[in-house]
Amino acid sequence: MIYYVVDGSEDCFYTAVFDAYRQKDAIITSESNLQTELESRIVEVTADAEKAERVRKKLRQLDGGAENDIHLALRSCDPLRENTAFGYIRLIIEKGGPVRKMLAHPVVLEMSDITGKVTGELHKLKGFLRFMENAQGVLYAPFSPDNDITDLIAPHFAERFKNQRFVIHDVRRKIAALYDGEQIILTSVDSAEIYLSEYEKYFEDLWKQYYKSVNIASRPHEKQMKGYMPVRYWKFLPEKQR
Amino acid sequence: MLDARRLEILTESAKYDVSCSSSGSKRVNAKGGLGNASVGGICHSFTPDGRCISLLKILMSNDCLYDCEYCPNRRSADVPRASITPDEICELTINFYKRNYIEGLFLSSAVFSSPDRTMEALCETVVKLRKIYNFNGYIHLKGIPYADDALIMRAAKYVDRMSFNIELPSEKSLKLLAPQKTRDSLILPMKKLSAAREYDKQNKIRSGKVIPAGQTTQMIIGASPESDGQILRLTEALYRKMGLKRVYYSSYIPVVESPKLPTVGAGLLREHRLYQADWLIRFYGFDVDELCGEGDNLDADCDPKCAWAMRNMQLFPVEVNTAPLEMLLRVPGIGARGAYRIINARKYTALDFDNLAKMRIIIKRAKHFITCKGKFYGSESRGAIKAALMLDNRAENAEQLSMFSSPDVAVSAITGEI
Repeated sequence: MIYYVVDGSEDCFYTAVFDAYRQKDAIITSESNLQTELESRIVEVTADAEKAERVRKKLRQLDGGAENDIHLALRSCDPLRENTAFGYIRLIIEKGGPVRKMLAHPVVLEMSDITGKVTGELHKLKGFLRFMENAQGVLYAPFSPDNDITDLIAPHFAERFKNQRFVIHDVRRKIAALYDGEQIILTSVDSAEIYLSEYEKYFEDLWKQYYKSVNIASRPHEKQMKGYMPVRYWKFLPEKQR
Repeated sequence: MLDARRLEILTESAKYDVSCSSSGSKRVNAKGGLGNASVGGICHSFTPDGRCISLLKILMSNDCLYDCEYCPNRRSADVPRASITPDEICELTINFYKRNYIEGLFLSSAVFSSPDRTMEALCETVVKLRKIYNFNGYIHLKGIPYADDALIMRAAKYVDRMSFNIELPSEKSLKLLAPQKTRDSLILPMKKLSAAREYDKQNKIRSGKVIPAGQTTQMIIGASPESDGQILRLTEALYRKMGLKRVYYSSYIPVVESPKLPTVGAGLLREHRLYQADWLIRFYGFDVDELCGEGDNLDADCDPKCAWAMRNMQLFPVEVNTAPLEMLLRVPGIGARGAYRIINARKYTALDFDNLAKMRIIIKRAKHFITCKGKFYGSESRGAIKAALMLDNRAENAEQLSMFSSPDVAVSAITGEI
């Protein structure tokens, strides 16, 4: 078995696909602490723009949507994401065209599962993300998504807020999307110190009051609430804090 | 400034309205504006009763002229009264929206001073929100019966969705329980709005469409004696003749004591069965006549699709590899998503039961109604099938109950598997 270890970037992944494609027993992974068998070999891959582009070009010829599928899959928190995406590319090349509807094929099913989880979380967090306003009028939203979706979620809010500056901060991965009213910049952010606007508490309290009042207490259904709004997201929801 | 107490009163008064969906509109943001609408709708929170919060749902006032029996805000009720000004509503909406608490506003009101005066105040609020506050998020506005058409049509230009609540499934019940409202006062404005939408469609009007997300309505189930068959016939007419987007059913909760009202609630199961049938009518190609006789109620023991299949066993089993989409959609246990998966996957390879399982299609119920490559794994006798399905249904009842108030996101609207 040959393990191609990548650094998590897309270029590096596509480079690994280029190098590993002709090997029968290749695995692509970004896991740093690998548990491998005795006879296996480990190859550290460095991104090579030219090789990556050749793979991308081939993919584009065969299936216009494949790059986006892979873009999403690589955001997944699934430890096998790179290898699943690799299998998906192999299958596209083998079949000579799009395969996303071959749902009876295990690789396609796995791909549709992990991309579905990424887009699913993306949709959920478009709703569950919470901003607070700082003293300068910038909105700040800390969150901790399962999948790496900060740059995927930021354009949604840029479109909504137009001139309104905001920061979306993935506190676990220590990265943030900054929006200055014109463009989004992705950057690494360790921790953020926030001086809240004087109105922040007023609106947060009104929101908590609203949340309490709109509930129909005579029809409790906690299980459903937790099904739609998993407890792991509550940490950043003011209405779920005491 | 708005205080917590007034917000509490005006929210408590609005919360029994079922609709909270923010879907169906593609409104875009303008330069210097705030907000847009997401066509699939977005849920922002869920309350301990399992319902979603998508919109800020409040009444402008709960001080009502009318005395509808079932309503907690009726004239004769001894409840605290409050109101909120257009500017206070705008400020609250903008500030909640900025913090991503909500997707927009659902504004309704009790009828204070007069229907026209009330509609005028609602209209003023939404115009202000759009023009002064530059808000382009979602707005759902409740229509006030007996208000002047011109006011209603003016409001319709600024909001994404409007709804007049039908309240009760028949004119007779309306007369008994909401004597100050008539069928015409509710249906005529709905028809006007529906005609205005049709006009936009015919003339291919793109920007400035009236209510781009259409109309919805709501009726109370179980406060009056109508059968499910009658209710569903009304529903079907509302969808097919009036082009409504959604009909909401609200099973009656006795919040008000009255000799004209039952003392017990209608129960969630009935409401749930109605929603299931509603889904079958909208997305699965069923006609109401196939589901429920006019004077009949839906089967409490099994869902309406199962019940239909049991009555039509001569049509089954169908072969998954060759059955047309319309037939796959009618197999109990196969939802819209599953049916489309099958249609796609079978183009490449003939499917067996193993494939179906791997495609996450639950065959527990479906196996009695399908064959895969000619193989059949279901029960042979109708009695055995019925027993198996009932058992299955009972086990899942608690689970299924949760479906009815599910968020109206696009995915579930398209699939809504039964």
